[in-house]
Amino acid sequence: MALEDVCSFKERPVQHKWFSFSSLGDAAIPFPTSDCYNLRYSRLETSENNCGVPLHFFIPPLPHSSSFINRPLSSFCPPKNSMTVQKPFRLAHGTTTLGFIFQGGVIAAADTRASAGGLVACPAVHKITPIHSHLVVTSSGSGADCMLWERILIREIRLYQLRHGHRLSIRATAKLLSSMLHPFKGTEMCVALTLCGWDKSGPKLIYVCSDGARLQGDVFSVGSGSPYAYGVLDRELRWSLSKGEAISLAREAVFRATHRDAYSGNNVDLFHITAQGWSQRKREDLKEEYYRDKEKKGKKKNDKLK
Amino acid sequence: MWTPPPQLQNCSAVSSEDPFLTSFSLPTCLPFASSQSVPLPFPMAHGTTTLAFMFQGGVMAAADTRSSCSGLVACPASQKILPIHSHLVGLTSGTSADCALWKRILARELRLYQLRHGRRLSTSGAAKLLSHMLHPFKGTELCVAATLCGKKMNLSGPRLFYVCSDGTRLRGMLFSVGSGSPYAYSILDQGVHWGLTVDEAKSIAREAVYRATYRDAYSGNCVDMYHITSKGWTRRNREDLKEEYYREKERRKHEKTERRDRVMVESEENWQEYHED
Repeated sequence: MALEDVCSFKERPVQHKWFSFSSLGDAAIPFPTSDCYNLRYSRLETSENNCGVPLHFFIPPLPHSSSFINRPLSSFCPPKNSMTVQKPFRLAHGTTTLGFIFQGGVIAAADTRASAGGLVACPAVHKITPIHSHLVVTSSGSGADCMLWERILIREIRLYQLRHGHRLSIRATAKLLSSMLHPFKGTEMCVALTLCGWDKSGPKLIYVCSDGARLQGDVFSVGSGSPYAYGVLDRELRWSLSKGEAISLAREAVFRATHRDAYSGNNVDLFHITAQGWSQRKREDLKEEYYRDKEKKGKKKNDKLK
Repeated sequence: MWTPPPQLQNCSAVSSEDPFLTSFSLPTCLPFASSQSVPLPFPMAHGTTTLAFMFQGGVMAAADTRSSCSGLVACPASQKILPIHSHLVGLTSGTSADCALWKRILARELRLYQLRHGRRLSTSGAAKLLSHMLHPFKGTELCVAATLCGKKMNLSGPRLFYVCSDGTRLRGMLFSVGSGSPYAYSILDQGVHWGLTVDEAKSIAREAVYRATYRDAYSGNCVDMYHITSKGWTRRNREDLKEEYYREKERRKHEKTERRDRVMVESEENWQEYHED
């Protein structure tokens, strides 16, 4: 796909076999392509100074635009489509992810539970994804949306690197992501990503949300378990932590959040990003930690009673 | 004894006529039901942080002192911990008007019980009484979430109950209520265990309320702390958390300058590395 775009391969509209024009009836507006990915008639024209190859943004027709109203409903439903597709459950950021900066770099940690309403849909999901060797992104919100946008971001960053010979800075990556997400503001897309990385200007932590927020900071925690994590982080976070202390703090924060929040749980993933790149710690089951903690408290009680 | 309001006795007559209104006739008979006539001025939310936990030295209770009214801080020095009698203290969350009223009603009932029977009602009895008194108002906009901290009847040992206007009545070792409670819970889970000394318990309770006020917009201003033992409750002086913020801010400012110098040195090195590739 990347190679096709670079070569401007898709000059003519592509008609996929599984979309038949006959289902459209007599559409008043002929649209040149049926492919959801390359909705050419709404392609941004502004990026033509990029060696002549435009960046394709997937811009859906917005509900209030006339093209949407006149077009009959097809199998490729645009995102805001509450008439035909019922949401299976109420979306909530059922997760705990956190990131913070300290003297030894950036730590990113997250739990691994994917919940769908009251069901634990998957107990071993990857919420932290590496984008390139010095950037990692933690995701929260709708799992499907996050996975898609991570892939889009990986693609765009790689393309930029190939075209320009150097890597995009983290702040610029955040800005790019934010402007890619902007057309979907007001739809049901729900993506809250924290970019944790290291670039020329040092460690960086930027929170980008599908509502349009783009915030740079030293500590972020996102999701339903975030208040619990914030309590622990605010208390013990210092710039001067050692690497071991920082890792155990991140682990403790996720553990406390999973203990109290029903939508977070199972394991904890931890990434550490330095000037040399990211390194991942082995995934750890928090069940063991719970039992250890309980035993420790029981032991303290017995010691005091003696 | 507390008798239910007279209108309630007519409810069964109403419900038997109409087959669809089996158990929902209560709200219309209640004296204070107002959902149809008076609209709510603002959305109610438990904008507070209160916490209480049991340990070997009794019960430690702490709360912030901010009363909020949607976005307005209606009172920065309100009292959320209300002593009911010498060995029972109630922490309130929810609507402050409702809480103040119900605390007085509970105090009155407990005093009447003591006068009639010659002994005090136990903490679990008080919790049950409050829960039963609140039950007729279930489904209305009454919003009271009280944590009763007391001691075991005739024995030494603490007791902690959580009573809520939607009918919950729970006994436990650790409770935190309000919008700031998640922030407090993680601190308390880390540090609270049975064997704490009184000073350690005080500092954990204070830290938990401080962290909640740090992050939650609806909690803030000062922290109140009460310590309940078998001899009764003692109150610590109300402490303004502003001082703590400033102390922390100083510390972070110092860290920031240290960090800025360090990062500048490192980024220079990295820049050189980048350009050498």
